[in-house]
Amino acid sequence: MDRIDKYLTFYDKILIIIIVAVTLILIAYPFIDAYLSENEDTDAFIYIKDSSKEVRRIPLSDTYQENPIFIEIDGPLGTSIIEAHNGQVRLKEAPESDPAKICEKTGWISRPGPSIICVPNKVSIWIERTNTELDAVSW
Amino acid sequence: MRTRKIVIIALLVGLGLVLHLVENMLPLSFIIPGAKLGLANIANLLGLILFGFIAGLQILLLRIFLGSILAGTFMTINFYLSLSGGLLGYLVMSLFFYYFRNKFSLIGVSLGGAVFHNVGQIITAYIIISNQAIFYYLPYLVLLALPTGVGIGLIAIFTYNYLPRELKRIDV
Repeated sequence: MDRIDKYLTFYDKILIIIIVAVTLILIAYPFIDAYLSENEDTDAFIYIKDSSKEVRRIPLSDTYQENPIFIEIDGPLGTSIIEAHNGQVRLKEAPESDPAKICEKTGWISRPGPSIICVPNKVSIWIERTNTELDAVSW
Repeated sequence: MRTRKIVIIALLVGLGLVLHLVENMLPLSFIIPGAKLGLANIANLLGLILFGFIAGLQILLLRIFLGSILAGTFMTINFYLSLSGGLLGYLVMSLFFYYFRNKFSLIGVSLGGAVFHNVGQIITAYIIISNQAIFYYLPYLVLLALPTGVGIGLIAIFTYNYLPRELKRIDV
């Protein structure tokens, strides 16, 4: 090691120490942050966007009631009925004139990631948490 | 002297090109995707020491353009990543070299370049994919840039010591 030592100046060593310290802190920070917020109740919201680009936000915790919540969304084809119950949401009834009714067949969603999208009626439904967990970062 | 300078700059571009291509063959990306040794930076670091800022910049730009054409990545994301990282890293290296040379050795200069190479790349990657989660990746890259940066600095010092005396403008 004394060979390398010969070439390093005092400020080089300080620079190396600063880089190691800063990177280790920045690497550890997301893990510590995740660990601390693990016990907190994460706030999830149901987002519903309709044809007028208006977004409604409903806390997922509101759906844990005896009766499901029904929301009616008017789109170009007619009225879509959305049902939210026990932390899940689905598009219960698509308008009669919707040819494929894909959104109805999507069924229940309960976590961030999948979304219900009805293109003809311009309705989209998804779930988001306020502190988003990343699935993966690809390079 | 002028012809000699042009020839040596051309030789350094060639050196950088070969290192650039050899580096692409080394599977360092298994450890951390996107990580590289930065061997090609030896060429522009030597150009900076021997002939100053402009010569080093010429070597860097020629090496990146020719290297990406040879590797078939010209005008792709890879090209922009290496251009932005190379430019920012080189600017920081010359800043360290010209203003803090009494404080840092070539190891410190190369280390600064290596760190800011990654910063430049991550900023470009953020502009391309516009997902700020990419910044969580920066510390890992910078941590790996530490040994490679020190290594490149050592290589530059050893290479410089073996160069003929009439080329050397300064003591390292």
